[in-house]
Amino acid sequence: MPGGRQLDGSGEQASARSRLFANYEVRPEFYDEMFDDDGAPRAHCRKLYETLNRMPAEDIAAMQELAERSFLHQGITFAVYGEEGAQERIIPIDFLPRLIAAAEWDFIERGLKQRLKALNLFLADVYGPGRILSDGVAPVDLVRGCPQYRIEMRGVEAPHGVYVALCGTDLVRTNEGFKVLEDNLRVPSGVSYMLANRRALKGSLRGVFRRHHVRGIGHYGQLLRKTLEELAPHGVSDPCIVLLTPGVHNAAFYEHMFLAQEMGVELVQGSDLVVHKGFVHMRTTAGLKRVDVIYRRIDDDFIDPLAFRADSQIGAPGLFYAYRLGNVTLANAPGTGVADDKSVYAYVPEMIRYYLGEEPLLANVETHLCRDPEALAFTLDNLDKLVVKMVGESGGYGMLVGPHATPEERNDYARELRKNPSNFIAQPTLDLSVSPCLSEGGAAPRHVDLRPFVLRGRKTRLAPGAFCRVALTPGSLVVNSSQGGGGKDLWVLSE
Amino acid sequence: MLARNASGLYWMGRYLERARHGCRLLRDQLATMEDRPVEQIADSWRRLYLAAGRSPVGGHIESTGDEEDFMAADAYTLADDLTFARHNPDSIRNCVAAARENARQIRNVIGSDMWSCLNVTHLDLRGLEIQAIWTAQPGDFFARAEDNIRAFWGIAESAMYRDGGWHFLVLGRFVERAQLLGALVEAHIAVFPSRKRDSEWEWRSLLAVCEAHFAYRHLYPLEHRPDRIIDFLVADARLAHSLRHSLLMIAESLKGVSGSQARQAEVARRVRRMAGWIDGDWPRRDPNDDEAARAALARLRQSCRQLHEDIATAFFSIEIQDQDGRT
Repeated sequence: MPGGRQLDGSGEQASARSRLFANYEVRPEFYDEMFDDDGAPRAHCRKLYETLNRMPAEDIAAMQELAERSFLHQGITFAVYGEEGAQERIIPIDFLPRLIAAAEWDFIERGLKQRLKALNLFLADVYGPGRILSDGVAPVDLVRGCPQYRIEMRGVEAPHGVYVALCGTDLVRTNEGFKVLEDNLRVPSGVSYMLANRRALKGSLRGVFRRHHVRGIGHYGQLLRKTLEELAPHGVSDPCIVLLTPGVHNAAFYEHMFLAQEMGVELVQGSDLVVHKGFVHMRTTAGLKRVDVIYRRIDDDFIDPLAFRADSQIGAPGLFYAYRLGNVTLANAPGTGVADDKSVYAYVPEMIRYYLGEEPLLANVETHLCRDPEALAFTLDNLDKLVVKMVGESGGYGMLVGPHATPEERNDYARELRKNPSNFIAQPTLDLSVSPCLSEGGAAPRHVDLRPFVLRGRKTRLAPGAFCRVALTPGSLVVNSSQGGGGKDLWVLSE
Repeated sequence: MLARNASGLYWMGRYLERARHGCRLLRDQLATMEDRPVEQIADSWRRLYLAAGRSPVGGHIESTGDEEDFMAADAYTLADDLTFARHNPDSIRNCVAAARENARQIRNVIGSDMWSCLNVTHLDLRGLEIQAIWTAQPGDFFARAEDNIRAFWGIAESAMYRDGGWHFLVLGRFVERAQLLGALVEAHIAVFPSRKRDSEWEWRSLLAVCEAHFAYRHLYPLEHRPDRIIDFLVADARLAHSLRHSLLMIAESLKGVSGSQARQAEVARRVRRMAGWIDGDWPRRDPNDDEAARAALARLRQSCRQLHEDIATAFFSIEIQDQDGRT
């Protein structure tokens, strides 16, 4: 491959190389999370590299198998819609951890906190006075015309000004550094896999884990609970918190169950809730019990058939009414999707400057809004080089990866693009960083991203870890779990 | 506790007890095939299907054909029907799958050890078919499956906090056990009348299925008297699989979950009435009157069914009530 460099062979690194890395190829066009361009392990990865070198490859393969089996037995699953037998599929785990140095994490943490603060101010503004719109920083039609903008939220103040209590931000690294690929502000998922991957690796690589001074993430459930407690309606000191799930057939049901367990709260479905005289209650064996905070994992459309989609079978009628009265907190608030819309995303750096008077620490990916005729023309001319996404979709659905698509696929997509340009954005095909993953022939580079989870109550909190997603197919850039991606543990080092 | 969780735990208890009972019955049934005459084997299958309230595959069980054919073909088909058949909601595999599905929805209240135990049991059964167990030692298969279910109860026993969750799980287990025991004894009397001579083997088999043989022999070492065995299984509260013991456990569980609601108090009253009837009226029955015994057992089963309805209404269907208690 052009620019490829085999780790195996003559040279000063050769004597230390194990069979695991014998065929590992470093390609300078992709940032390698473990090796520098010369094929030497990066300073913070050297200890792990040496440890893995000493381990027979077959032992590592056996540990990987053990971890997968433990996922199966524990029922750590994810569903992919549209595939036969897709329910309860195990999310593939890659056994080789990805390491992040302490200073790198510190930078990420500051950047994410800055971003979430600005996004919350943006939501309070667009559902309130709308200063950012009247000042012309963000286009009115883009924001108010966004399908995720909820007119019902106009004039509704979220408790303590927190609209987004929980955010999962997708970060990628290229040779230019970390960039935000997208903010997930509605019902971000994946945190349970972060914790499950950690448990699996910690159990198998006990000694290795200890020697690396990896920062702990096991307290995430407590952080989440603390955050939700802080967002209780005014005057409620010991709030009753529940997690609202669409039910067992939802793709992320395992996660809902897991988080309810970690927080020690009830996992409820819409049918378990009843709104009476403006308050939300759950049905218990001893009668109705008032609920104060709902961590909802149901999309806006479905949380309340009286306020949003009337055909919803999974929401609770009257829930939004109780929310508007301030008698219950919904986390995240309805209507937060307007801030993670793929078009509005392009304005986040401006939001940070506008609300905080600061320069964004984390950069955005260059984004072309196809609603702009020039951007549309550019996109159509460069479809073979760009990634084009539908603004209302997530999870890798409705996306065209230009360089990997056939001419027919590009033509079909161009037709759709011309029909409704406002529905699309285009971004350059990113050279996502790679990290060593186990493959049949030993370790091989695979593209990765990471999704850290930021919590905002009265304070902003971040567990030092992330769901690290992996494109398991060689050369693929699609890391989404719903598109067959896998996960690996991410170790944030404390020194 | 959340009413839906309570219902999930209750049904888990019921399905697991049903699956365990099925394992026990089939293990005993397969043991008969070692040395019993073919008529007895066929009768034993009849008892099994009558107790299950289900028609055998093919509509009836014939023992007049060639013995080897009967052993090889019919037993294989019937065992498949009761163990793996997807169309039989009460097959062992379906019961374990249903228990596991309930558990999956309420895993956050049962803990990971209980969940993993049940999940692994389900995964083991999911991929199996009758031919895989038939060629080796089918009895061992049922013993293993029963052990897995017992392991689940062992974990629950040692790990579960004794709050409503535990009580609903146990409640489901013993409501199911009471129904199954009543049905089995009633079917047994119908197929093997107590006046029949040389019937010791059949009654030993009944005791074995109810895990009562050891205790019975300890109390009555010399004889297998049908009337005494029936009394033992129905009215002896110290026997874990007796109907009376099930009512005792149901009453205990209800004590742990009942609040001040009138409907909940009514459930407990029903259980007391059933227990009172067994303690007071059952000993006065004519030991030679099989029909009367069957009728009494049928009434008890009907009461058990009504008990289940009462539990569902009192605990799992929570509605808004106005000040007068109207929903």
